[in-house]
Amino acid sequence: MSNPEEFENEIRTVKESVPDADESAIAKEFARYKDEFLVPPKHALRSVIEHFQKEAGMEVSAPNTSTRRAAKSVERFSDLASDDTNVTIEVAVISYTPRMTMVRGEEKQTAFGWIEDNPWEEGGERTRWDFKDWGNHAENLSPGSVVRLEGVSVNEWNGKFSLNINQTSRVAVLRASERKVVMAPSEPISIERVLTMDGFATVVARVITAEQRTVNKKDGSGTIDLVKGRLADDTGTIGFACFGDFEHPVGALLKIESAAIRRFRNTPELNIGERTKVEIYHDEGFASLENLEASSVMQISELRDGATDVAITVQLTSWSSRKFTGKDGAEKTVWGGDAVDPTGVCRLTAWSELPIDEGSVPLAIRLSNVRVRSWQGTPDLTVDRIEQAEILDAIPWDVIDASTHSVEVDFSELLSGGSRSGVTSSATVISVQSGSGIIHRCPDCKKAMRDGACREHGPQAGIEDLRLRIILDDGQNNGALILGRESAEAFLGQTMDDVQAATKDDGGEAFLADLRSRMLGRRHTFTGRAMIDPQGALLMADSFTLTDLNLEELANEVRERWGVFA
Amino acid sequence: MMPNQQRNRRQTATRLFAREFYESSLPDGGQGEFDPRFIVTKLGARVNRMFVCGVVERLERRDTERGPMFSGAVRDPTGLHLWSVGSFRPELHLEMEELVARFDDGDRFLMACIGKSNHYTTEDGGFRCRMQMEDYAIIDREVYATWLVETANHTMRRIDALGKAQSAETTDSNALRDAGVPGDLVDGLGLAMNHYGDWDAEGYKVGVLQALSAAEGRVISFEEHEASPPAPEETETENEDAAEESAESTPTSKGDLNIETVVLEIIAEHAGDEGIDYDSIMKHCAQRGLTDEDSIEDMIYSLRDDKCEIMEPRFGWFKPM
Repeated sequence: MSNPEEFENEIRTVKESVPDADESAIAKEFARYKDEFLVPPKHALRSVIEHFQKEAGMEVSAPNTSTRRAAKSVERFSDLASDDTNVTIEVAVISYTPRMTMVRGEEKQTAFGWIEDNPWEEGGERTRWDFKDWGNHAENLSPGSVVRLEGVSVNEWNGKFSLNINQTSRVAVLRASERKVVMAPSEPISIERVLTMDGFATVVARVITAEQRTVNKKDGSGTIDLVKGRLADDTGTIGFACFGDFEHPVGALLKIESAAIRRFRNTPELNIGERTKVEIYHDEGFASLENLEASSVMQISELRDGATDVAITVQLTSWSSRKFTGKDGAEKTVWGGDAVDPTGVCRLTAWSELPIDEGSVPLAIRLSNVRVRSWQGTPDLTVDRIEQAEILDAIPWDVIDASTHSVEVDFSELLSGGSRSGVTSSATVISVQSGSGIIHRCPDCKKAMRDGACREHGPQAGIEDLRLRIILDDGQNNGALILGRESAEAFLGQTMDDVQAATKDDGGEAFLADLRSRMLGRRHTFTGRAMIDPQGALLMADSFTLTDLNLEELANEVRERWGVFA
Repeated sequence: MMPNQQRNRRQTATRLFAREFYESSLPDGGQGEFDPRFIVTKLGARVNRMFVCGVVERLERRDTERGPMFSGAVRDPTGLHLWSVGSFRPELHLEMEELVARFDDGDRFLMACIGKSNHYTTEDGGFRCRMQMEDYAIIDREVYATWLVETANHTMRRIDALGKAQSAETTDSNALRDAGVPGDLVDGLGLAMNHYGDWDAEGYKVGVLQALSAAEGRVISFEEHEASPPAPEETETENEDAAEESAESTPTSKGDLNIETVVLEIIAEHAGDEGIDYDSIMKHCAQRGLTDEDSIEDMIYSLRDDKCEIMEPRFGWFKPM
């Protein structure tokens, strides 16, 4: 707590501006800023002075802030300084070399080249500078043209000056040129990076599986032969499909240039097409087939919808079968159960009988070449043939209790990965969405209705339900968290009836306002499953609580992590 | 396919201190009608949605042609976050009216504010950042302290990434990745480094230290922090020395630094009991060769509001704190 003496200097300053102000009142105000708002006296001075000026009925000056930079228009590079940012200048473009870089999964073109000032004077003296184009102004920056650059900035690196032509810069062509810009081919990149990209990529990788297949064309007009398989480097593996000849054996090291990245569900695949160049690559240091195969064994946390050729070992915790009638009228059996490993929870489905009965679980099973389907965020390992599965003698980890199994995962790690079940994570509530509270569900499709009508089934007498929709955000990622009736009741400490009663009069406005003021800005922890797709993340919570934080520990962690001490 | 995905995804709320935001001058994105707009900070944060906290320092209602709007500011350890509630967000207006009434009665409180970054250009071409409020809550000291720690962490993460980026051979995204810059900061840092050029992030570390200390309950400004224990007699001079130091490490351009030193000197030298008036500061600046009145005016306000080096005892008159 504060004592008045420590504000002596500040109190004197306030008194100079507001001579009639009461000293103990001033001290109290400083103490309040320090203790309640964590604002040191020096920073609170202005607010406190204003407060007492106002109280004394004095004129309070209108505040104003910011820094700004005016546009600078010059004719010669020599008029520019290293910190000029909003520059206008007319130049001749000498060269323009585009370069493809991957930005947020998009292939983006940046470029560099030379420009010269004093473009109009015949035979006059010119100065040549480098430039970089960050805004894809290729069309207007053809070599040989004269342009006016607006809003460009100066960059100085090791005493060398250059101009940055930014996304917000304007390039006006004053004299056009005949030449056109050609795209540059891309450099090889790691598979880890390819997995996050779209577009085209060049990789150097080893073939770890390859299989000739025949598929039926969708329109029924015949079949296509293709080779499907997997490529690996020491950063990861990726499936590939080749629609032409592919005569490289398993183990071959290849450089594959300009393969298209296609996505099946959430799983990217490299398409080797007509314009792709495939050649044998020589690199003694490249990871061996054995190492790549061993490291391509997956864990549940890494499973992605649509993945194929998956090798994994899991612990089966339940097993059962059901019969159903197939499209062709024949009765079929499908087997299935829940599976866990130390990284998460998933389902396992088998289309042929495995040597397992209900009494033999828990047991460990090693799968190879299986595929993954996801249903509402839970990955499902699909076994088509008996030889894909091998029952192990022992579970390779301490037996996991599936009913309480949840893995603590960092929020950003969870949200930048694939769908997972059985996870616990925490982040800050950044929004409590309208539509939280009592909702009405369509009796036909169970979807939430709006304004008394279902989007598909029209106006209905809906069934009441309780639901909360919350946005969790850790500063790097965000996701929508849904609390169903049970978990919402537990979190609120109220039954659905309580909520109904509380929201009846005003349609839930006060209920929402109260939730917002209780939750916004506070860190919360949830346990449940995460459905992740390119549109965003949907988190289904089984439980949800305010996170118990130890501030001192948190602050210490930050100091240690970044080495900030004073 | 990808651009659509980018567009539809909800933007994550950047945690950043006031200074990092108001020192930004680089807009990005927003070319298409539905493309999100960003402000790129000197530390490479691409700010669309943002989450900031602090004690309310300003709050007023303004009536415009389109209806009432509210503007306010919250103070964190590094300065003021300016925000506004537009006339197009009537759902917040009722509560804002109440808050304005509380504020006008002299009540002060801590706020958590969530909103979208926005910028506008002044008539003379200046670049100003502010936040369009989406939602807010009145919070307690604990929640504020948690935000301080979290934001310190994010700020240091960016400072660290900037250090790595500065060691990269070029600013293209592959070079930045290879230098160890985290994926989410690659684009922003590439843009930032080309726009802001070379600078020293030491000044932002001061803000981080101040925030961490405050969260730990040691509410002192960093200058005093250095001189411990502060003997009452010496505090003033030490403060000045430390202030000089922090002014020098301020990561603004050399030009600004120069203006800052000159303006501070002029005010220190010529302010009588009443202070020195605005026009006289300009005249003295002109005598010393500084004629960019806009920059000088900005510096005066920045010294008054953000750095708290000078005060304005009455309108248009300035004296040292």
